[in-house]
Amino acid sequence: MSISIRNVWRTFGEGVTAVHALRDVDLEVPQGQFTVILGPSGSGKTTLLNLVGAIDQGTGGTLEVDGVDLGGLDDKGRIGYRRTEVGLVFQFFNLIPTLTALENVELVAELTGDDGAARARQALEGVGLVDRVDHFPSQLSGGEQQRVAIARALAKQPPILLCDEPTGELDFETGRMILALLRRLNRENGQTVLLVTHNAAIGEMADRVVRLRSGAVVEDRTIADPVEAEALTW
Amino acid sequence: MVKPLSAKLWRDIRRQKAQFAAVALTVFLGVTIFAASYDSFQNLTASYEATFTGFRFANLTMQGGDVEAFAAEAAATDGVESVQTRTVADVPMQVGATKFLGRVVGMPGTDSDVNQVRVIEGAAITDPGALVVLVEEHMAEHFGLHPGDTVIVAGQTVAVGGSVSSPEYIWPARSRQVPFSSPDNFGVVFTTEETARALAAAGPNEAVVYFAGGEPDAGLAAGLTTRGRALGTTSVFTRDLQPSNEALQEDLKGFQEMALFFPILFLVAAAMAAYVMISRLVWAQRPHIGVLLANGVRKRTVLGHYLGYGLVPGLIGALPGAVAGVLLARLITRLYTGLLAIPVTLVKFYPATLAGGVVIGLMAAALAALAPALFASRVQPAEAMRGNTPPGRGRPSLLERLIPPLRKIPIRWRMALRGVGRNPRRTIYTMLGVVLSLVLVLVSWGMIDSIEHVLDVQYVEIQQEDASVRFGEPVGQEQVDLLAGVPGVAAVEPVLEMPVTLGEGDTALDTALIALPADTVMHRFLMDDGSWGSLPAEGVLMGVGIARRLEVRTGDVIPMTIAPLGVTVEVTVGGLLREPLSSVVYASREYAAASFGTLPATSALVSYDPGADPSLVRAAVTELPSVSAFEDAKAIHRMIKDFMVLFYGFVGIMLVFGGAMAFALIFNSMTVNIAERNREVATLLAVGIRRTTISRLITAENLVVAAIAIPIGLVAGHWVSAQAMASFQSELFTLDLFIRPTTYVFSAVAIVLVALLSEVPGLRALRRISIPEVVKERSS
Repeated sequence: MSISIRNVWRTFGEGVTAVHALRDVDLEVPQGQFTVILGPSGSGKTTLLNLVGAIDQGTGGTLEVDGVDLGGLDDKGRIGYRRTEVGLVFQFFNLIPTLTALENVELVAELTGDDGAARARQALEGVGLVDRVDHFPSQLSGGEQQRVAIARALAKQPPILLCDEPTGELDFETGRMILALLRRLNRENGQTVLLVTHNAAIGEMADRVVRLRSGAVVEDRTIADPVEAEALTW
Repeated sequence: MVKPLSAKLWRDIRRQKAQFAAVALTVFLGVTIFAASYDSFQNLTASYEATFTGFRFANLTMQGGDVEAFAAEAAATDGVESVQTRTVADVPMQVGATKFLGRVVGMPGTDSDVNQVRVIEGAAITDPGALVVLVEEHMAEHFGLHPGDTVIVAGQTVAVGGSVSSPEYIWPARSRQVPFSSPDNFGVVFTTEETARALAAAGPNEAVVYFAGGEPDAGLAAGLTTRGRALGTTSVFTRDLQPSNEALQEDLKGFQEMALFFPILFLVAAAMAAYVMISRLVWAQRPHIGVLLANGVRKRTVLGHYLGYGLVPGLIGALPGAVAGVLLARLITRLYTGLLAIPVTLVKFYPATLAGGVVIGLMAAALAALAPALFASRVQPAEAMRGNTPPGRGRPSLLERLIPPLRKIPIRWRMALRGVGRNPRRTIYTMLGVVLSLVLVLVSWGMIDSIEHVLDVQYVEIQQEDASVRFGEPVGQEQVDLLAGVPGVAAVEPVLEMPVTLGEGDTALDTALIALPADTVMHRFLMDDGSWGSLPAEGVLMGVGIARRLEVRTGDVIPMTIAPLGVTVEVTVGGLLREPLSSVVYASREYAAASFGTLPATSALVSYDPGADPSLVRAAVTELPSVSAFEDAKAIHRMIKDFMVLFYGFVGIMLVFGGAMAFALIFNSMTVNIAERNREVATLLAVGIRRTTISRLITAENLVVAAIAIPIGLVAGHWVSAQAMASFQSELFTLDLFIRPTTYVFSAVAIVLVALLSEVPGLRALRRISIPEVVKERSS
């Protein structure tokens, strides 16, 4: 599933207090591409991800996913889009503490079909947590929680995976393992991945790196020979 | 407190104004009820005291026996200020067409030294021999009597000289045994002692004693009581047991209990609402607290700062609550004294109530804030500033563990179930809120149900007669037969009623013996075990209240003195009754005749022919010369039911207050629940779960809490109601708790509706959640 971002603006506030989180951003992301969006704090990278995830709306420009203009969707349409088209991975995992790993994944998997339990288990197998399915988040390490979060994002088999600082809360080893997992899933499933990070080293494993500064794209380059995640260091 | 912290306090309060307002409202209600009921109690007590002192209300009354000898002895006793003898007699009266057994009271001299009256209309009687009466104000008002009117007293037409108020008849009760009388059946007139003797055809039969300064003196009263009994009294009682005063004191006791019970309920609720809110606030502000402490702010400053979150809503609720309560008390006092025509109304300002109201309101809120404030002051700065909090502990809910199939229900519903146990303390407080609200509702509503039930049992199930008839003099069978021959009268049962004293010595109890036909069908006997019984061939039946007072059981033998006959006999307690509104003893006429050798009828129970016109029957019966009074059996029932309007008003107010309390508590818990789960909710929204689904989940979770709490609340409400009813038990009343099943259902439904309503603001807040902002926040 391709993403087409054309002249997108996102402005918070009005008048003298207006803050332009995104300024005239243009991006075309083809299906299956693993794109890393880099930038310092406040550069607009998470805002861009939120627009693609339809949990926020731009104030200018158009954003199309497979030809569908997200700006034209009503609330119901956006919910439907989030249900079927995108999987979200957050920096702080955002697992429901009262549900087990399997239940956390199943809760989302159920949204897209009857075989939610099977797909949830399959997703957890995919992230290597088959023996931890009945554990609650408080019983899992940070890396395991993030793997559950990834499984949750993948369980509904979305064509787009949006990851916001997925390693931000993890130690180096665990972070690298998560990145390797994401890359493997991208290759195996052909999902389009947008990964936001402030860690420039991570860009080396991507197919493409987009760098934002003050809401504008300042660099957009294709990586001809990305390194394996396991080889990353920072 | 340092200035920026003050600013923070006020801004935080402004930001959560709805929650703070909920706490303040609950404190306000609790303090208002406290001040209103306590000041009403104080005002009414003061009004009674002023009335009693102003009217020189007797400290002790002796009826029957050698009253002159008693008066002489009493007058010579230390501590006695005044003694008077007088003539008091229940005599036939007639006002217009209404015949009844009224009471004539003699006033020694032109103004009594004890039990004075105050002329409301007309003038005091100056001629000792004049055939003039002063009508007690309740009777005057009921019959519209004014100076110049006439009434028939003991067969003589007498002039009405005016109307008076009397401390003895603020509540016009005929006797302790008959505390309720319809105004068509009982009225009091005062006249000169000479005229009273002439009308009653008897001499002085009552001595009234006023102690020094009117102050009660238990030792003096006991000594005089013993002397009175030795001198053949039929009844001797202190001011506390004077029929009117005893009824009024029961009411006062209600105010006193209300001043304690309801405020406690509300303030506990307010404390819980405040605790839930402040605990959450402290938890959310841990990083800020860490920064403050790390920068050298003293622990006690932090402690004081967070105590402020309790003190501010406490003060906002308590101050106006105390003022409103004090003002409300003035209104209640005036309404009450006006309704009962209490001669002296004293409405005072009691600074202690105002101060006490503010203090208890503040204390409740401050105590609620103490634990979270202490927690705040003990925060470890380094850890707190990291902002990381451990994820909520997860485990299957208790219900899932108890009922394993619940583990198979859809995950979203499992989530709701587990949400209940997620913060056990908060859940318990929410449940306690539901429980307290139900207690409040059931205590109020249960009182109504119980009183209605008591009235039905007494006037529908036990008393089967259509009317009762009093004879002017004890009559024989021929008069009873005459009565039975009146058109419309289906059956008549003769009744002999005599004053008796049960037991002896200090525990002696004055009451009345009612002798009925052994096979009576007009009076049923509700036994202590709930079954219907009949009069025993030997011995008497007595109420459980009397038995408790005399410490006797079925089968015991006790002395019974019948003063008019001058005999004391040993009687067997043949059984115990649960008759709600009666404190007499019953025997069969056959047993009475065998024991005392007398069998006239002082009254009769009457039943009508089907379809008979009660007014025609009444007119015909009261035409009989022997009949002095006629009472429609349903009249008192109707009269008491009319008084119930006040109770309905009270219950209505308590339902509104209970609803407000439940709303405040559940609203606060809900708001905190949602605030705490912002990130989860945002995550669920982000992954595509609809807001309506999330709303349903949260609603389900709260309904589960309510569903668990409601049975507990119903049981607790029942128990507290039973305690409240038990506090009104005496030898005069046997009031059992009775709550209709529908009351439980309606109370539970009302609480569920309040719970649903209190969710609305929280659920509306869901719409305002910003997904992008919240999913990026650290957990808190």
